[in-house]
Amino acid sequence: MNESHQGEFRITSENDIVMARKVVRDAATTLGFGITDVTRIVTAASELTRNIYHYAKSGVMHWRSLNQDASVGLELTFEDSGPGIPDVEKAMEMGFSTGKGLGLGLPGSKRLMDEMTIESTVGKGTTVVVRKWLKQ
Amino acid sequence: MKKDMNTPSKSPATVLGSEESFRLLVESLKDYAIVMLDPGGHVASWNAGAERFKGYRAEEIIGQHFSCFYPAEAVQRGRPEQELKAAAKDGRFEDDGWRVRKDGKKFWANVIISALRDKDGTLRGFSKVTRDLTERKQAEEQIQQQSREIMELSTPVMQVWQGVVVAPLIGSLDSNRTQQFMERLLNSIVETNSPVALVDITGVPTIDTQTAQHLVETISAVRLLGAQVVLTGVRPAIAQTLVHLGIDLSDIITRASLSAGLQVALDILKLQVVSKDSNH
Amino acid sequence: MVSESISVIKLRGLLLVTVPPDPDDETVSALQEQVLQAMAQHDCKGLVLDISTVQTLDSFFARTVAETVQMVALMGGRTVLAGMRASVAVTATQLGLTVGNSLTALNVDRALDLLNSTLSKDLRL
Repeated sequence: MNESHQGEFRITSENDIVMARKVVRDAATTLGFGITDVTRIVTAASELTRNIYHYAKSGVMHWRSLNQDASVGLELTFEDSGPGIPDVEKAMEMGFSTGKGLGLGLPGSKRLMDEMTIESTVGKGTTVVVRKWLKQ
Repeated sequence: MKKDMNTPSKSPATVLGSEESFRLLVESLKDYAIVMLDPGGHVASWNAGAERFKGYRAEEIIGQHFSCFYPAEAVQRGRPEQELKAAAKDGRFEDDGWRVRKDGKKFWANVIISALRDKDGTLRGFSKVTRDLTERKQAEEQIQQQSREIMELSTPVMQVWQGVVVAPLIGSLDSNRTQQFMERLLNSIVETNSPVALVDITGVPTIDTQTAQHLVETISAVRLLGAQVVLTGVRPAIAQTLVHLGIDLSDIITRASLSAGLQVALDILKLQVVSKDSNH
Repeated sequence: MVSESISVIKLRGLLLVTVPPDPDDETVSALQEQVLQAMAQHDCKGLVLDISTVQTLDSFFARTVAETVQMVALMGGRTVLAGMRASVAVTATQLGLTVGNSLTALNVDRALDLLNSTLSKDLRL
């Protein structure tokens, strides 16, 4: 699979969260990820898309296939012009607590994916990039 | 260089034709420490290889007793003297073991001690040839670790009874292996519809924090499916370690042997049948 | 978009709810409401949540389920989560998600048996 696959998906409503999951599921499955990795990637995408909807009201998800030294991977980028995250490190420490308020799902997403980078400026917006590589 | 370097009744010099040729040969061998000991075990001669492995220069070490190359525990147990005795008795003694350098660092060595006797059989001393096997030992350990991992990959999770699967765990669990192990185990539980999974840790020599936590993670995952884990092959030492690590064992069923675990599994399944019957 | 309808069946004093494969947030929230209403209306003593077709279990879903389990317990009932998929269990564990005090079972059939035996044990206390 040497061709590059990519796409873009706008997030503007709550419904888009489940649509984003479907888009990502298709992309991951096409690239050849196994069922468990597909589940991981889709779950991370669900968390990050929901963040955009709840905190920024709108944003964009880009996705593209990666080809590096015979390794194949999937990269998802979540961009919004929302309020931004004041303390990224603290947000990464927040674990899940059922019923104690919305965590940002960032530490969880990091655990599910292989790589994650976050760039955020208060008042301007946030960009989260996650990647997962196919295991040989 | 495992063949006899010399026969007990001839000196090395005689075998090689001249003292000088022998000296040159020994000097040139840098991969082997060749040391001559007097009958009492004191260092009489020292070559470039010996300096390389053991770190002592000739001036520092000649006259010292060769037990300084042994780790403290070995000296306490009297190993150096035992080895000399064996060499004197049988003509040679060979062993793989730990030796110590001047800086205190241990290295894994292959050692051959040969008794040197003159024409009338009087013990003149010993030759000691040492080879550094550290690299080889590291390579061996790596191969062992890899074959353990291969063994585990090829040891599938097996259904041993209606409703019971067995998953042997070999070695330790890092994040990657845990994910693979969990996937195999959970898939097997779902495919065979087994409410009980025996996770056998007989092949886990010691349990560190990481492995223990990943084990607990695996047990949680099995519970989410609606099945139960029985941890088998739990030796007292491992049970102790788990408790010390603060792992709550109160709601995990553990047994020392796989067969005991199987018994528990069958009891659990029987209970399920009984409760099912009593509902109708 | 209209939320997908969730199947809620009353079965001998118990509720059997079948969750669709990829419910949106609205559907998940509606599930909670429907369950609680049905519990109250029919005086049910237990809930079986069939998640055997669910492909993604993210934090929102997990939180809603955990809340539902809590609410059912407050109403005097017990919940069993049935048929979680292997890939979902692995992911959920990696995420550190819990499903509250819910019991779990390999499938709906076992879930019903478990619920019945648990409830009869509760009665004997």
